[in-house]
Amino acid sequence: MRTRVGQDFATGLLFIVIGVGAILTIQFYDRLPMGIPQRPGTGVLPLILSWCLVGSGGLLIIKAVLAGDTALSRFAWRPLFLVTIAIIAFGLLVDGAGLVIAMVAALTLCALGTPETRWPEFAVFLVIMLAVGVGVFVWLLGMPIPIGPVRMPDWLSVILR
Amino acid sequence: MDLDSVFSNLALGFSVALSLKNLFWCLMGAMIGTAIGVLPGVGPVATMALLLPITYFLTPEGALIMLAGIYYGAQYGGSTTAILVNLPGEASSVVTALDGYEMAKQGRAGPALAIAALGSFFAGTVATFAIVLAAPPLTKLAQQFAPADYFSLMVLGLVLAVVMASGSIVKAMGMIFLGMLLGLIGTDVNTGNTRFTFGIGDLFDGIGFVIVAMGVFGIAEIIKNLGDPERRDLVSSKIEGLMPTKEDFLRCQWPVVRGTLIGGLLGILPGGGAVLGSFASYSLEKKLSATPEKFGKGMIEGVAGPEAANNAAAQTSFIPMLTLGIPSNAVMAMMIGGMMIHGIVPGPQVMDQKPELFWGMIVSMWLGNLMLVVLNLPLIGIWVKMLLVPYRLLAIAILFFCCIGVYSLNNLWSEVLFMAFFGVLGYAFVKLGCEPAPLLLGFLLGPLMEVYMRRAMLLSRGDPMVFLQRPLSLAFLIVSAVVLILVLLPNMRKAREEAFQE
Repeated sequence: MRTRVGQDFATGLLFIVIGVGAILTIQFYDRLPMGIPQRPGTGVLPLILSWCLVGSGGLLIIKAVLAGDTALSRFAWRPLFLVTIAIIAFGLLVDGAGLVIAMVAALTLCALGTPETRWPEFAVFLVIMLAVGVGVFVWLLGMPIPIGPVRMPDWLSVILR
Repeated sequence: MDLDSVFSNLALGFSVALSLKNLFWCLMGAMIGTAIGVLPGVGPVATMALLLPITYFLTPEGALIMLAGIYYGAQYGGSTTAILVNLPGEASSVVTALDGYEMAKQGRAGPALAIAALGSFFAGTVATFAIVLAAPPLTKLAQQFAPADYFSLMVLGLVLAVVMASGSIVKAMGMIFLGMLLGLIGTDVNTGNTRFTFGIGDLFDGIGFVIVAMGVFGIAEIIKNLGDPERRDLVSSKIEGLMPTKEDFLRCQWPVVRGTLIGGLLGILPGGGAVLGSFASYSLEKKLSATPEKFGKGMIEGVAGPEAANNAAAQTSFIPMLTLGIPSNAVMAMMIGGMMIHGIVPGPQVMDQKPELFWGMIVSMWLGNLMLVVLNLPLIGIWVKMLLVPYRLLAIAILFFCCIGVYSLNNLWSEVLFMAFFGVLGYAFVKLGCEPAPLLLGFLLGPLMEVYMRRAMLLSRGDPMVFLQRPLSLAFLIVSAVVLILVLLPNMRKAREEAFQE
């Protein structure tokens, strides 16, 4: 379907937002030095790239408005949201609560991400994955990951302090 | 180029590749590659990203041999699904499905599979020899490169990646700029300034390549595939009579040779690789055929040529990576990631400093191809059974491997969260029609280009003309400019769009 505000327009907007954000960060937050031609400073390449990114974004928007654009298709919000949450849960739990709890949380959240999940089947699969996780990664490969809860996760102690 | 050194190099390679351990890793890589090649929705890039952390536990030779095996194994596996189920397991087997599945419907799945495997093996053998012959002179040439030449070569690489990426050119360029910016996050080693870290300590060392790759390729793919579940109806036609007839062989010999040549040449170019090779070969065979109308209705030439081409391209795309240290596509970016995990800086010096790694890997690629032909054909039944594993379970397994893989890199939970971020970003790219491969190339090349730019400017005392004064550098820049202008010309643009649509 052709429209004016679609994939290219949105991409252009994304590029411009990131590019402008980067330029502002370089100049006002990181305050990166530009150096001299013999010794180009830390800020030179990022600044050039940011402007190029803004430029590409601008071109995309102009092209979309003038020549039409491909319409955006629907976002799959459910898997997007739940898969992301699942990974975050794994990251937040693995350190302190241990691999088993982190896996149960993450894999269950991921399974919630699709209506196709059959829960009895998932339960069996979860046990198999737990065996693989603990057996292969911790015992066989010897990765230093706690299996059960050992301490409060870093992030929680930061919040509580 | 003297023949003696070719043989001594090959002998060294065989002595490394034939060690029991390395044979095992080669087999593992080829098998894993075939498995993920068979499964649609799981690509070699994501798999290599998943396994990168695990390769840390292997020797450098074993690690690279296994990673390489995954890549060419995936080419073999992809064609199996394409022929039997009409689902291209890999992008490079899209054209194989056209005639291969028709042959399967006519009860000739066996010959189609066999010719695909044998054609691939022939192409793999030729391409391996091409690497053996081309690598030493190219490496010699690369050793004379000055910083300015390197910089311009990378510019050329990025330009070619833009041209070869499907879809809008401006988008691909934007993705490269964004990738380079992401690559610059962290502490600048020259000055000690930090860039874009916002005071987050875990960002001071920059974002790991594996994290970006797993997020953009692995996680984004899970989200996408869970979002639009595909119907995977297994058409289990019986496979009988594996061997092609004498007539089949006669019909296929030239398509295979031509496919090998086209694929081999296209494979060297950045950005294209296996996908482009198979498409080009198919259209060439169709043009040359006396009966072009029969293509798409079960012509064995339409299977043999593209299969040879994609395998040849898969092999020759190692050439720029091995000799110059420059990745030509996302898979090669993974290989470089694998080298860096073991503290090997990719580039022309690898061949001199680590000959056993260099030649061992090349010889292992040929051995791996041989294993795939010998083992795969009898095992096809098992591979197809794998398609019975539903994606809802596969997705969960992949998610877990991504999480534990990233965490095991540095035992930092924050990096798992970074991966979640890149997963969301990667899904946005899917929805916006942006190909992620240029982003990954920019991410790898951005910091390298900065280093070479600084060295060149220092040597020239701040005169930017140095990039135009060195003949090699000038040549690279001129080629880049010409290519870019050509693609932007109206009629070339049309041809390019048609080529990608076909």
